[in-house]
Amino acid sequence: MIEAFVEGLVLVLQWKAFAFMLLGIGLGFWVGLLPGLGGATTLALMLPFIYTMQPVEAFAFLLGMHAVVATTGDITSVLFGVPGEATSAATILDGYAMTKKGEAGRALGAALASSLVGALVGAFALALAIPVVRPLVLTFGSPELFMLAIVGLAFIASLSAQGGRGMLRGFLAGGLGLFVATVGQDPQAGIARFTLDTLYLWQGLDLVPVLVGIFAIPEIVDLAVRGSSIAGDRPQGRLGRGALEGVKDTFRHFGLTIRCSLIGTFIGIMPGLGGSVAQWIAYGHATQSAKNAQELEGFGAGDVRGVLGPGAANNSKEGGSLIPTVAFGVPGSTSMAILLGGFFLMGLVPGPDMLTTHLVVTFSMVWTIVIANVITVGVCFLFLNRLAALSAVRGQLLIPVILVLVFIGSYTANNHYGDLIVTLVFGAIGYLMVGAGWPRAPFVLGLVLGKIAENYLYISVARYGAAWLARPVVLVLIGVALVVIVYPLVQARRARTRKGAHA
Amino acid sequence: MPSKASLALALGIMVLAGWGVFSTFSWPWKAALFPLVIGIPLFCMAAAEVLWVLFGSTARSEAMDFQLSTDLPARVVLRRTLLAMAWIAGFFAAIVLLGFPVAVPLLVFLYLKVPGGERWGLSLVFTVAVWAIFYGLFDRLLHLPFPDGLIVTWTGFG
Repeated sequence: MIEAFVEGLVLVLQWKAFAFMLLGIGLGFWVGLLPGLGGATTLALMLPFIYTMQPVEAFAFLLGMHAVVATTGDITSVLFGVPGEATSAATILDGYAMTKKGEAGRALGAALASSLVGALVGAFALALAIPVVRPLVLTFGSPELFMLAIVGLAFIASLSAQGGRGMLRGFLAGGLGLFVATVGQDPQAGIARFTLDTLYLWQGLDLVPVLVGIFAIPEIVDLAVRGSSIAGDRPQGRLGRGALEGVKDTFRHFGLTIRCSLIGTFIGIMPGLGGSVAQWIAYGHATQSAKNAQELEGFGAGDVRGVLGPGAANNSKEGGSLIPTVAFGVPGSTSMAILLGGFFLMGLVPGPDMLTTHLVVTFSMVWTIVIANVITVGVCFLFLNRLAALSAVRGQLLIPVILVLVFIGSYTANNHYGDLIVTLVFGAIGYLMVGAGWPRAPFVLGLVLGKIAENYLYISVARYGAAWLARPVVLVLIGVALVVIVYPLVQARRARTRKGAHA
Repeated sequence: MPSKASLALALGIMVLAGWGVFSTFSWPWKAALFPLVIGIPLFCMAAAEVLWVLFGSTARSEAMDFQLSTDLPARVVLRRTLLAMAWIAGFFAAIVLLGFPVAVPLLVFLYLKVPGGERWGLSLVFTVAVWAIFYGLFDRLLHLPFPDGLIVTWTGFG
């Protein structure tokens, strides 16, 4: 285990993997800063470029990019009150308030330092979790792994939208993803399913054109609709010399930073919750650290603790969400669902193999998160003042570049014009989903898990008949899935009853 | 928009799932098992969503996902959305007809000039820069095979 841990570091530091990681960090740096482009979208856009890479290089590139998005996303939140990422929205409350008070440097220092602490805690949790979950994962057979896929889908479907209606839409999206995954020649009987008599669809729908379409197209359309400069028309100013003070704040409130990092890690582990939730729960916890009513009123008006909490949590959740992704193939967030696509493109199957045969690759992910964040925070501190200017990139300049990337990215999947049509079709579906308030994460999860879930189901039925449903772990997992579905409904009903009683 | 979009999605899924389940009747069980396990509940859930949209509350359920901008008048949003979609479709058509090497600089330049209203100098420099990156990275470095456009194929020029 220790050998694999060290070997993981050595592999990440090899020149090719390290160069790809630096490239990923550079991309993630920009993506985090620019409010018009999401981390998940960029991850989807970059998937086609990993085909020729080795697994360690591919994950150094993808994770290096993804690990820093939340860190630089905080910068736009603090400077302009515009979240660079959905996961850095909570930082606005006190970070932007501090900027308006002339404490932008201090807020940025606190956001960056707490992000680094959070990322280290998340990576540490991932490394620590590997020996703990390994024996558990190795006892799982096909029935258990199929049920895990269903539990993952239940988690992400029930938690990615609000209320019973949201849950129904989550399941519809997940079901659609699973259904779309059945397109192509079936692996057991060789029947061509839903291929519309076209040769292109015989191999099934490639993940890349689908993901690129469903994520990038809606964001491009929205960027064009807004028609303004990407960070709006907010003025830029000097950041002052308060950054060091912000770093000191992180250590003055070190207990809070660590607790919020742990909250982020824990929420990251829970499939379906993701960084958007982590930051708000961490913010809520930070407000609880107020000793009296006067201190509490300071939150939202520029209390540095309101920056430290979300800053730490939205970075620590990355390590946390990698735990179920790597160990069980159940992604903790939309980005992780896309990253799961990267596993399959690399020929890796999450689960036991990642904790035995490919353990070194798993540890290389831990190191990538650590190194990427250390580099990013260092660079941010060096160029703090110049960073402000980056958010003023006009949408008109960005849109054609992203469109070029979208079409080239999807075309390279199979070098076929059919890929472009798939991108356009799923772009339209993605736009409708966003417009209708349907979550896209369950769709991605369904699509990614579809093929392996079908395989596990087929083996379970062929090997055990209906008896696979009576296996103890399967029963437990069915129970978990039911709790995951029923609990939010009960909670919503209770809230409505309480509201009715107060009215 | 939310109700109409939701209705369109749910109806589309209903048709898709219904067709999927119907198709499985002629397949061996090995091939039909998973589409059936997915298709039947998917059809039922989509039907429930359709009924909910038509007869239930109109309350919007917020997904924990990217949200479209809502701070502009609906007519402006509709016009710009259609325009953006037309540009995307136009780029696709240009790729198919002219091929990537021509379509990429053409789209970038036209987008900068027409909806972007950028100056000639910036538009030209930016277009050349994007084309240079495209050509250098994808053609020279990665050797990706970009086919000629249909017009080039039909006319024999290229």
